[in-house]
Amino acid sequence: MEITQRVSKDAIVLDVNGDLTYSNRAAFKTAVEQVKSRNCQHLIVNLEQVRFVDSSGLGLLVLLSQSFKLSQAQFSLLKPQSYVREIMSLANIPKMIPIYETEGDALTARAA
Amino acid sequence: MSLHSTNGLVHSADATAPSSFPVATILLVEDEPVTRTSMAARLTRLGHRVLEAGNGREALEVAGRERPDLIIVDWMMPEMDGPTFCETVRRDPAMKSIYVLLMTSHDQPAQIAEGLARGADDFLSKAASKQEMTARVLAGLRTGRLVRELEMTGAQLESSLVLLQTKQTEMEADLQSAATFVHSLLPQPGSPAPGLSLAWEYQPALTLGGDLFNVAAIDADHLGLYIFDASGHGVAAALRSASLMTFLRVDNILREIGSYDPEKVLREANRQFPLSAEGEYFTLWVGQIHLPTNRLSYASAGHQGVLLSPNERPSRWLTRPSSPLGFDQEAVFVSDQITLQPADRLFLLSDGIYEAASPTGEPWGCWRFQQAVEAQQHEALATTIAHCFTEARRWQAQREFLDDAAVVGLELSV
Repeated sequence: MEITQRVSKDAIVLDVNGDLTYSNRAAFKTAVEQVKSRNCQHLIVNLEQVRFVDSSGLGLLVLLSQSFKLSQAQFSLLKPQSYVREIMSLANIPKMIPIYETEGDALTARAA
Repeated sequence: MSLHSTNGLVHSADATAPSSFPVATILLVEDEPVTRTSMAARLTRLGHRVLEAGNGREALEVAGRERPDLIIVDWMMPEMDGPTFCETVRRDPAMKSIYVLLMTSHDQPAQIAEGLARGADDFLSKAASKQEMTARVLAGLRTGRLVRELEMTGAQLESSLVLLQTKQTEMEADLQSAATFVHSLLPQPGSPAPGLSLAWEYQPALTLGGDLFNVAAIDADHLGLYIFDASGHGVAAALRSASLMTFLRVDNILREIGSYDPEKVLREANRQFPLSAEGEYFTLWVGQIHLPTNRLSYASAGHQGVLLSPNERPSRWLTRPSSPLGFDQEAVFVSDQITLQPADRLFLLSDGIYEAASPTGEPWGCWRFQQAVEAQQHEALATTIAHCFTEARRWQAQREFLDDAAVVGLELSV
């Protein structure tokens, strides 16, 4: 799994490339900790290049969403592929974490 | 035997004596008393403890007893000459790594080669200057110390490895005994209630699995069934799973909730099993069959659910989107009901089976599981389940599953 961090307007975007699974959780946690240390007010995790998220990966996303909610910051997901979207829907993730189709939508939603 | 020791007296008057160098014990083997005494004095002045021997045989005795850090041995000696002494030292496991300087009055290449071949580490010419002797002795001591350190590290590594292997064996035995216990809690294949048959196959990824299931009588009229997936792997996940399994025991549920109503079971489980600090959680599917009417009520907490495979009709999943346990304290779980028909089959499955990934990383997927089940509608229940495992293994091109794989089948008699 490769994770690239970039700034997009008021948000930090993590472009994830690979599977978000139990065996990759350490790399994902490290990347997120780096973002948190920058006092990020809006984190967007871009899932466009993620083919598979297992139950551990899903747990990490929910944990992140809860932690951002606590610090009154925004956490969004971007463009999950259809299989990942299916897994997320089954676990009601869209009701907990906003999911956007374009980066622009995610940025606008925060501004609003 | 002539043995003279300075007992570590340091003569720091000599400017060439390195003050920070630790005192070393040097065994000097030389049959000619004048040369020996003069060299011993030089070495003593360097700050070393010097032991002396007049021939190879005496030297072996001293070396065996005193374990010197370095031995300087003359080539030509009565009784046992220098090269024979070197060979003997190299054969002795306790002494073989002592640094040996072979002293000679010649320095022909052929002689040097012979000395090295027979076990000497370096040569010292009898005509060497005081500076050369000091340098060769110090270099020899340094090398000897490094060799000893390496040997010690090697020995420590070996004993650590033995310790680790012992611990590993103990841990595996513990895990195996825990796995045996957990397996004893799984339902007996056969007939859990009149008119129903049960078969299952379970392949935990580790010895101890985290994804578990059960089918058990609640009372004379009701049968309870559940399957859950634990996120994460390993011992921590297995412990959490054992705890959820204990919670889901019929006697516990009846005591805590009063009934095995799937909706209520999920609500209480959601309260008692929050998302862990590491982001670990369960997805859980709970069902209850009213045996006189074959009415199944079920509810799911983020679980893929259960496949209903009716006789001669397409199969369908019994689930609806819902939060896994611990995601949301306010989560609402809704029960659904259906009436099961004769020959209907229910398949409870863990994510390890449908997430089995092909060598290119593509999951086997629920729909392939569904196809495998439908293709086997007329086979015996256990055969159908075995077929699913065969297909999943074929898909992932390996026998072992990376996650716990379970398929539980329940069939109504015709």
